[in-house]
Amino acid sequence: MITAVRKPLNEIIEMVAPYEKILVTGCGTCVTIDYSGGAKEAAILASQLRIARRLGGKKLETLEQTVERQCEWEFVKEFTDHAAECQAIISMACGAGIQTVAAAFPDKPVFPGVNTRFVGMPQKQGVWEERCICCGNCVLHLTGGLCPFARCAKTLLNGPCEGSQDGKCEVNRELDCVWQQIYDILKEKGRLADLQKIFPLRDWSTGEDGGYRITVREDMML
Amino acid sequence: MGESRLKEFEPEILAFACHYCAYAAADLAGSMRLQYPTNVKIIKIPCSGKIDIIYILKALEAGADGILVAG
Repeated sequence: MITAVRKPLNEIIEMVAPYEKILVTGCGTCVTIDYSGGAKEAAILASQLRIARRLGGKKLETLEQTVERQCEWEFVKEFTDHAAECQAIISMACGAGIQTVAAAFPDKPVFPGVNTRFVGMPQKQGVWEERCICCGNCVLHLTGGLCPFARCAKTLLNGPCEGSQDGKCEVNRELDCVWQQIYDILKEKGRLADLQKIFPLRDWSTGEDGGYRITVREDMML
Repeated sequence: MGESRLKEFEPEILAFACHYCAYAAADLAGSMRLQYPTNVKIIKIPCSGKIDIIYILKALEAGADGILVAG
């Protein structure tokens, strides 16, 4: 899932200050699951904005709407009627959703209601951890199911580095050293021989360094 | 707010009371003819765990000055 956190209220108040009627949009997928931008969070933000505006002696009208996913045209189109009534839109989706809304309603200013954080998972209730940097060239079958790019501060492919101490990372002692974990898990599985292999220089052109990526599936095209 | 107005200020309190304990206590207080200020309004909820931040925000928007969650 893509994880996000709500932007500080004052930042959002400032962004929408010039507008008297705004549409607060939630997304029903990732940001609903991580409690940052679903229908409930959209309702809370709208209420907070109305209260803040009233405390300032002015009026703010809000509409709220949440769709299944804001990162797809088909769902974002559902905002059309409400968007037409409003001067501005707050999108509480991830960056992909916000951009889809902004592109779908070019005549309206679209503001982000959250800061998108990473692709990760809920490790336990209330705690999310990064798991994938979308590098486009997966090696999880070789590393015991632990990603050395997402979980190593140096994105090493032949770790651990000398900074690994007592199973912790030198960059942040709170974090586990993923290469220590990879060693431990492969040892447990009797697959330490996998670590004897030297990984060749990695081709990062499948990652984000070559500009934004486009996946084309001709078999799926209409 | 001036001092005199502050003295006159009577906050509207909305009390969310749990069906199983606080509301039962309030009900008993009523049966016993115990008095409590009229600016406290009680809403029965199935459990204080049912309270959600949006209920509190909407109560404040609707004019409540303070919220009591009792359970």
